[in-house]
Amino acid sequence: MSDRKITIEYNDQIVRQFMLASILWGVVGMLAGLLIAAELSFWQLNFNLPWLTFGRLRPLHTNAVVFAFVGNMVFAGVYYSTQRLVKARLASDLLSKVHFWGWQLIIVAAAITLPLGFTRGKEYAELIWPINIAVAFIWVVFAVNFFWTLQRRHEPTLYVAIWFYIATIITVAMLYIVNHLSIPTSFTHSYPIFGGAQDALLEWWYGHNAVAFFLTTPVLGIMYYFLPKASGRPVYSYRLSVVHFWSLVFVYIWAGPHHLLNTALPGWLQTLGMTFSLMLWAPSWGGMLNGLLTLRGAWDQLRTDPVLKFFAAGVTFYGMATFEGPLLSIKSVNALAHYTDWIIGHVHVGTLGWNGFMAAGMFYWLTPRLWNRPLYSVALANLHFWLGLVGILLYVAAMWTSGITQGLMLNATTDNGTVLAYPNFLDTLNTIKPMMLMRVIGGGLYLAGWLMLVYNIHRTVRGAQAVNGTVEVFESTEPAPERLGLAGTVFSPPVIFSVLGTLFACAWMFGNDFLKLAGLFGTGLCVLLAWANFESGRRQWGVWYDRLLVSALPFTALTFLAVVAGGLIQILPTIVINTAQNVEDRRQIPYTPLELAGRDLYIREGCYLCHSQMIRTLVPDVLRYGDYSRLGESIYDHPFQWGSKRNGPDLAREGGKYPDIWHFRHFENPRSLSVGSIMPNYPWLFTQRTDVAALPAKISVQRLLGVPYPDWTPAEIQAGVEAQAQTIVKGLRTEGALTAPDREVVALIAYLQTLGKSEKLAPKPGANPDHDD
Amino acid sequence: MTPDDPLKAADSLRPHRFDGIQEYDQRLPNWWLLTFYGAIAFAIGYWLLHQHFAGPSDAGRLRAELARIEAAKFSTVTTLDDATLWQMSRNPVMVAAGRVTFNATCVACHLSSLKGKEENPLAIGPNLTRQVWIHGGRPTEIYGTVTQGVLIKGMPTWGPVLGARRISEVVAYVLSYHQEGEPSGVAPSTGPAVAVPGAPPPTP
Repeated sequence: MSDRKITIEYNDQIVRQFMLASILWGVVGMLAGLLIAAELSFWQLNFNLPWLTFGRLRPLHTNAVVFAFVGNMVFAGVYYSTQRLVKARLASDLLSKVHFWGWQLIIVAAAITLPLGFTRGKEYAELIWPINIAVAFIWVVFAVNFFWTLQRRHEPTLYVAIWFYIATIITVAMLYIVNHLSIPTSFTHSYPIFGGAQDALLEWWYGHNAVAFFLTTPVLGIMYYFLPKASGRPVYSYRLSVVHFWSLVFVYIWAGPHHLLNTALPGWLQTLGMTFSLMLWAPSWGGMLNGLLTLRGAWDQLRTDPVLKFFAAGVTFYGMATFEGPLLSIKSVNALAHYTDWIIGHVHVGTLGWNGFMAAGMFYWLTPRLWNRPLYSVALANLHFWLGLVGILLYVAAMWTSGITQGLMLNATTDNGTVLAYPNFLDTLNTIKPMMLMRVIGGGLYLAGWLMLVYNIHRTVRGAQAVNGTVEVFESTEPAPERLGLAGTVFSPPVIFSVLGTLFACAWMFGNDFLKLAGLFGTGLCVLLAWANFESGRRQWGVWYDRLLVSALPFTALTFLAVVAGGLIQILPTIVINTAQNVEDRRQIPYTPLELAGRDLYIREGCYLCHSQMIRTLVPDVLRYGDYSRLGESIYDHPFQWGSKRNGPDLAREGGKYPDIWHFRHFENPRSLSVGSIMPNYPWLFTQRTDVAALPAKISVQRLLGVPYPDWTPAEIQAGVEAQAQTIVKGLRTEGALTAPDREVVALIAYLQTLGKSEKLAPKPGANPDHDD
Repeated sequence: MTPDDPLKAADSLRPHRFDGIQEYDQRLPNWWLLTFYGAIAFAIGYWLLHQHFAGPSDAGRLRAELARIEAAKFSTVTTLDDATLWQMSRNPVMVAAGRVTFNATCVACHLSSLKGKEENPLAIGPNLTRQVWIHGGRPTEIYGTVTQGVLIKGMPTWGPVLGARRISEVVAYVLSYHQEGEPSGVAPSTGPAVAVPGAPPPTP
């Protein structure tokens, strides 16, 4: 035989770097979370400093824990396991270094810009456009490094963990780029190219699937490697891996609209969002089953091994979160839970329980292997586990109680259902204050546990010699196993039946009369034929899939096909349909230049993180905030500001509800008018000047995006701003409040007073307002 | 990939190892398959129900419910007249309930003394204890002012927020500072009106 034995040394240096970075950013992200949680209980904690307010630090917290903490953890796990699963060193040391340092630079840039108020105003997509480009670039570096490594693999067949990594890399790239399409107005500011409901749909297509493909699929891949390694048990079921992988990546993408239930989003999208979320339950639990049942025969190790404790609890929390998700996506449950702390609790089951515990388990397992020294203290790691567990339970129980209590109070009516039982929003807020405090305690315990990990790993690593893993492989001259070409991939029963079935289902969903019936019939026929084909030729499907697993490129292409379908089917009709016609009976009036400047301040201060601008089609919402929001009332909003959480009341129809002087005093000190308010004071709005010079560039970009502004000269814009500001300032003066017209507070008041203004349009002839579509 | 005998399949390992990791090929649990197929069946049924045999939309349902509420409210307002409101203002239970609502809702502008601007020039609302009224001092006029608000002066529209019963209570509380039959004059508005951009009232 002409086989030649060679030894490969893995690049474990990059794994160590990513791991330590993740541990460090974990501390930063959790500290930010603890601070903003405490600010909800003690509003004074921003010390009247703009860059410490909840509105500016909440994006820092979410970006830090998602992209810095879990991001670095995922890179460490992917790089460690992939090298071993494909028996090849990472393709390029240079790309690995660029990936690591580039990612850390992005994080530092985010940590500087977000507190300073540089933001795009879309959740989890707040970073400004130059940083967006850097993220996209580094992600491509990661992708090239990963796929190049696959190409040099000495293990022909791709293990299930690698499937999940492939899905992660291509899907995150797609989501990130599309949701960050925007046109710059300056080096630090841009407007997203879509507005209103379109922007909302895109944002939650991205936001929901950031959870799916950044926090879930890569960590599932990590579970499939580290859980069997740590327990020494075989994975429970290969065929469950196959079924749950493909159903998960296909179904997940469709579920985004469940973040927009009962809003102005068209009914068919809400229906898809709800039903696909329910269909997501089983695929998600497939992952949990494969994790937990792999531990069969290893449960006794849980008593002593902190690693398996973390993994078992992490996978259990994954199961809890993925049961709760579909539950919250049911429209009637969502009517109660949306905008409340229940959602915050749900998210933290996933992040603290699933991501945080999987990270801790992985780090405790990796450290002795990467530094060739036993863990400094197993007892301390066990203590970390119990402290973290109690922390999560306190946190989540507090948020459930708080969310359900506030939801019930906000929706409660009295006098035979004709008036609100708790008309004052602050009543509901005061009731849940003890729960908010308990959340701080739970989060504090969790962070204390994490600091134990920091200490434990520091003591283990200190003075230890880093070691890199090696493997011996045979450079074989034998022909590689037969791969699937393009034809073999496409012209195969699984692919043909899936594609045809989806196409027929689309015809059924969107077609009229004949097309609809043909679609329904065709979908049913496809399912029957596929079932018959599978039953008659089970072996062929298995053999075909085995061949697909040695063909990385066709596998990647099919994965992309699966994830792109849902997005295309939901987004294309929504952006292609002419927005001017699809407005229900109202059309927004474009903002005046001063109001636009005020809106950008609203976004800068992160007001949307506590105040929604979306009155849902629900009686309590309408009784509390006014007539329900129409599709056309936000068409010129780039970005949309519908919000996702109400720590304060909705502002969709705030305009004219109170006089200017009310807002003026309220920004000075919210408690002077709203006793018990948790909103911070905004003293800097009274000293800083509105950036009028930036308006001409901003308005020309808005015109480009289709907002019907006249072709104003900069001088005309300036004059318009001054005239409107003078009117507001004069009015304030008669009420005894003195301020200059160029102050930010004037622009912000102008914006708030225009919220809810729209022109009424005659309904379309033949349209039936009482029916969907 | 699918041995047909479940007993044999129970613990059969797939031949391949990945960095030492092996895989069983267990059958998918029946209850798991049931939830999977069940959710798909539900999704198809739900889509058919809502998109093909369309019942009333969310907005349609909402409009029907709001019409019912409006009707219920009309029925409670008909009995209110000056005499009834004066009667309420002498009833300690009504006045106490009105004080609670007033202290939660009205004190920000009118202050807990009801003296408003006259006590503290920074306050937004006028004095409610004097016998001079800007928008009319008859009980039904006060009731109307509270219900509809005077947006241009900063008095919000409380009708949809507080509801008829609470407004009656608040008016009763304010009237408890006055006597039936006392002289009541209408003062011209003090200070120039502030131009507040108008907006549709909170509820239709």
